[in-house]
Amino acid sequence: MSIIQQHSNATLGDAWRTINIDALTEDSSVNFDTSTLHPPQPEISEADARQINTQVRQLLRGGDAEGALRGCLDTPVYNGSEAAKDAHLQTITEVLQSIKASEMSPLLKSIYSSEGGNEALDVLMKYIYKGMGAGAPKVSRTPSGVTPQSTGGFSQVGGRPGSNEPTGAAMSVLLSWHEKVVDVAGLGCIGRTMTDWRRV
Amino acid sequence: MSQSLRPYLQAVRSSLTAALTLSNFASQTAERHNVPEIEAQTSPEVVLTPLTISRNENERVLIEPSINSVRISIKIKQADEIEHILVHKFTRFLTQRAESFFILRRKPIKGYDISFLITNFHTEEMLKHKLVDFIIQFMEEVDKEISEMKLFVGGTVPLLARAEVNRLQLNARARFVAESFLTPVSRAVAACPAMS
Amino acid sequence: MANPEVHHLFHNPIADHSFSADQQTLVVARDTSVELYGRSGSSFKLQDELKGHDKTVTSVDIAPSTGRIVTCSQDRNALVWEPSPTGYKPTLVLLRISRAATFVRWSPNESKFAVGSGDRLIAVCYFEEENDWWVSKHLKKPIRSTITSVDWHPNSVLLAAGSTDAHARVFSSYIKGVDQRPEPTVWGDRLPFNTVCGEFLNNSAGWVHSVAFSPSGDSLAFAAHDSSITVVYPSAPEQPPKAVVSISTQLLPFKSLIWRSEDEIVAAGYDCEAFRFQGGEGGWQLAGAVDTRGPSAAGGEQREESALKMFKQMDLKGKGKDDTQLKTVHQNTITMIRPYQSSGSGVAKFSSSGVDGRVVVWTI
Repeated sequence: MSIIQQHSNATLGDAWRTINIDALTEDSSVNFDTSTLHPPQPEISEADARQINTQVRQLLRGGDAEGALRGCLDTPVYNGSEAAKDAHLQTITEVLQSIKASEMSPLLKSIYSSEGGNEALDVLMKYIYKGMGAGAPKVSRTPSGVTPQSTGGFSQVGGRPGSNEPTGAAMSVLLSWHEKVVDVAGLGCIGRTMTDWRRV
Repeated sequence: MSQSLRPYLQAVRSSLTAALTLSNFASQTAERHNVPEIEAQTSPEVVLTPLTISRNENERVLIEPSINSVRISIKIKQADEIEHILVHKFTRFLTQRAESFFILRRKPIKGYDISFLITNFHTEEMLKHKLVDFIIQFMEEVDKEISEMKLFVGGTVPLLARAEVNRLQLNARARFVAESFLTPVSRAVAACPAMS
Repeated sequence: MANPEVHHLFHNPIADHSFSADQQTLVVARDTSVELYGRSGSSFKLQDELKGHDKTVTSVDIAPSTGRIVTCSQDRNALVWEPSPTGYKPTLVLLRISRAATFVRWSPNESKFAVGSGDRLIAVCYFEEENDWWVSKHLKKPIRSTITSVDWHPNSVLLAAGSTDAHARVFSSYIKGVDQRPEPTVWGDRLPFNTVCGEFLNNSAGWVHSVAFSPSGDSLAFAAHDSSITVVYPSAPEQPPKAVVSISTQLLPFKSLIWRSEDEIVAAGYDCEAFRFQGGEGGWQLAGAVDTRGPSAAGGEQREESALKMFKQMDLKGKGKDDTQLKTVHQNTITMIRPYQSSGSGVAKFSSSGVDGRVVVWTI
């Protein structure tokens, strides 16, 4: 190794090559503040989310499925800790699982035609996607260790059929809700799940 | 088609139809450039919330929408080694021929087996519902192929040995299936009035 | 209802189109060039090609009385084409922008035009006599992303703009020496350049694709990527608006909208057909598709279902023929709609252009 190279390795390195200079320019489009894309949202704590869960369970026990679903769709956790968000997803999943397939469409139609029903189904769609995304790896731009695909070996041994039965069943509930919501609220509802920066 | 596959594909279909609402959009960072914003990631406001559709923990689709491009990644079921090999061979064959495949991304994104990148230029020159059909058909075929492989291989030979024995057969099979996918794209393009 | 008049010009996307006042000339933006078509009988024939841009042309507009054509492109330039006996003569406009020019429209009095850009600003352009060229002044604050569309108020001073930062805004583009002091409106009374008279955002956000003032100029409508139409009724300068009515539809997003009259809006986009909205301050509703002849009028769901059938049949060879044709007149996204002919009650005919290379004239 030449002296020159040693010198540059030791003192300079090549880290500068990977600096994103756009990020350092305040006015750059990279630094767009996405919080300006939605009105400020009230913060919901984990305790609040759990309280909603209790209320919703009560309604479910009383046989008021629509009231229960409407109740949790009217209080989406847009601004809160991950724990609060997960707790609310849990609540909604419970409600969805407790409703019979034959009741889904009439119930959705009834919600859609009510005051603010449009918004409620948009919220439901967001939670359906969140529910389906729960098991997926988080999309991140930082390189992390091993990926299931690149190892090329037999890394999938754990993933035997049988071990995924419970998730399969949960997903199939979400998938049938997805289909029913699209029937009632249209593709516009999926579009709004993508555009809305009030994320659940 | 199996019971659980239909709602899964239906959800992918409606999600894709909603996501493929693209515009011609010039870069805000690079002068006189027009790049897929979902790949460039230089303007947060033109990249939308990604959607995940899962059939179970081993099978899912990730749709990452933006103003001028959508990235679709598919995780194909691989319940055991044979399926893993088949999927690997299959996707490798396709990605090596990405250029004749228009919408295929050369490299799948992390956690998925195969990725597609559809830009506004694709939706301009090909019919949108045919593009959606293509992805759906692809997923359906892959599902069918892998299920059939189970019957095709069979036996009680130890897994590793069996995989070794069948490597050649698998290779040929994957190649055959993959090749059949190069034709629908050209057919979709040829059938499209906008390309005449 | 009369059948729509369909002109299939070519197999490329049409980013924007504009008819001359006498409707004998049609200008369309095709890739990097601008094509000029003349009416001959019931069809349009290519007459001239306006060459001057070297990147995708994004927008064209013919000034109705002077016949000047203004075009803009992703090459960061705008050109004004002056009609002359020997053809159109281009003049470069001093835009002073470093990103794509995305949208251009003449003001109603034709003394100015506004160019939206990816440089996160709007260049308001006017003619400078002493130097004999078109110069511009920038509307910058508080725009944070690419401008997707602009629309002029009838007074030629107020300008509405939609942007990919999900906001629709109303600005003053008052230029001393060019504009007359405008009469006060509900949007404002004192209007120095770059006054922001209104800024609106939908709850579910979405890039604003199109903005339009109502015929009186007293309300503003915009279409966003969340498949919605929003109508704003301002009350008085510096006051919150009287009403903001937002209709979230079941459809795919709209790319373009126009007012037919104060109580009716027509919008079209990714569903490849146009829809009518009716209402007022109290509320707006989707009143159905403009083209009610075919089965397509039933809306997106039915098509979705038939698409499923198509795909089930796809394995059978040679089935490609029937499913490559949409039931709508346009075979791909409608990019722009514009008023074509007006009668006493408002717009009677409008024209649409699409990614499928068609320009269609519709009777409402």
